[in-house]
Amino acid sequence: MSYISQYDYYENGGNAPEDANWGSYQYVSLKDIVVNYQLMYSGNHSLVNNEERYKILFHAKRAIQELNYDAFKEIKVLQLNVSEDLRFILPSDYVNWVRISYFQNGVIRPMVENIQVNSAKAYLQANDNRILFDQDGKALQPEYSPLDFSRITAQQPSIYLNSLSPYNGLMGYEYEGCWYFDFAVGARFGLNTETANANPTFRIDKKSGVINFDSTMANESCILEYVSDGMEGGDDTQVTVNKLFEDYVYAYISYQILNSKLGVQEYVVNRARKAKSALLRNAKIRLSNIHPGRLLMNLRGRDKWIK
Amino acid sequence: MINDIRNTVLAVLNKNNYGYISPQDFNLYAQQAQMDLFEDYFYAYNYQVNKENQRTSGTDYADIKKGYAEVIDFFSVTSNLTQNGGATNSFFLPSLATTGSDFYLINKIFTGGIELERVNQSKILLLNSSPLTAPSTMFPAYTTQGNIATIYPVSSAAPTITCQYIRYPKPPKWTYVDLGNNSEPVFDQTQPDYQDFELFPDDATDLTMKILQYAGVSIREASVVQYAGAAEATETNSEK
Repeated sequence: MSYISQYDYYENGGNAPEDANWGSYQYVSLKDIVVNYQLMYSGNHSLVNNEERYKILFHAKRAIQELNYDAFKEIKVLQLNVSEDLRFILPSDYVNWVRISYFQNGVIRPMVENIQVNSAKAYLQANDNRILFDQDGKALQPEYSPLDFSRITAQQPSIYLNSLSPYNGLMGYEYEGCWYFDFAVGARFGLNTETANANPTFRIDKKSGVINFDSTMANESCILEYVSDGMEGGDDTQVTVNKLFEDYVYAYISYQILNSKLGVQEYVVNRARKAKSALLRNAKIRLSNIHPGRLLMNLRGRDKWIK
Repeated sequence: MINDIRNTVLAVLNKNNYGYISPQDFNLYAQQAQMDLFEDYFYAYNYQVNKENQRTSGTDYADIKKGYAEVIDFFSVTSNLTQNGGATNSFFLPSLATTGSDFYLINKIFTGGIELERVNQSKILLLNSSPLTAPSTMFPAYTTQGNIATIYPVSSAAPTITCQYIRYPKPPKWTYVDLGNNSEPVFDQTQPDYQDFELFPDDATDLTMKILQYAGVSIREASVVQYAGAAEATETNSEK
């Protein structure tokens, strides 16, 4: 991207949206990456020559995708209300989730992923349990499986210590001067920390593209933090890379092209591979923002007593 | 330059009364010789690139490649392409009818400062079906078929497509005035169809030798062909 004036930066030259260029200086566009690569790393006297632009573009995009999965730490956040059928449709650019929370009374409460399955596909069955088919030979399916139905209609108890726990609201009991609640009376002497969470739970059905919640999340506000692949819905004009990773992307393209090219000596491929890896490490360190001020804040708390 | 070359050719051919070639024959041989040398520029350019990669080429005045690039650039033309009928992504490639000159080599096609990538017919379907590499307004592509270039992606309105290409050199024509009475035709460059060689003056020797070879074959004089062939080979080797 060419350099822009302060006016263009702060107010987008008077055009809408005003914030179009805010923070843009951190990034280099996909177009610049491809053009710079063709100009500087490809040609008659370079290791890479006679390569089609679409190959360079492909590897540039692959590098950006890989960086988006972890190195960039660019978390997208989407807040939506959960529907009556307790589903939250994954965003169109969703690749993986980072954290899912629910937002209630101004407080963000992180949720835990249910360790038990909470959704299933089902087929209609006859009285003798034989599966029913339509005229095309496809098995007939109900709208909801019994598992889903019981969850959506709040009939499914939870092993978590939330309001769906079968012991929630039960009277407590007193034993040797202590009151115990939410537990069956019997031989249970410890807490299963894995399920000791009072918040609603969820489970992600990746293939179906939805997050299934327990029944306490109906109409509740959910905040999904997730990572995308940086392809911006296929709009090449919006694809960018943090400048700290610019050199890495060039090195990645070179390595991928040399690695798949016939007749390139192994030491050349190795050199490209090492350059790529080293640049990725450097960029990650730079992006991690480990600097004295931040370390100092951590070190100040080292002598604090944990009670 | 064309008259000097013709005089030289005739002088060599007439030695020992070997023979004579008419203006019509000379023009045919001249065009053939010019095309031979013109095509050689590209091979010579590639040869110099390889020499540079082997680090056996110099810079400044020793930069031979630069000279070839300058000669080739002399034939460079940049012109807008003509849309083919109503299709918004179909354009005629450069030709005498559309841009005023045929193309020898298309160097680039671009629109709005963005270069379109030439893609082989065998790849275009794959390219279009790949989410990561499908042609976009930022990275457009084109294919060619016959005298038509097809642009991708298809837009609702036809964009302005510009082409930078290397045209063929114009056919040289030695024009003359016929004085009759079995006199020699006299060179006349005021004729409307007069066309000098378009190659640079340092190619005059090569042109002469090429034409001599064709003329030698024509008059069945083997010694002329051998002499011209050897002279040309010597000159070519000395330029490497």
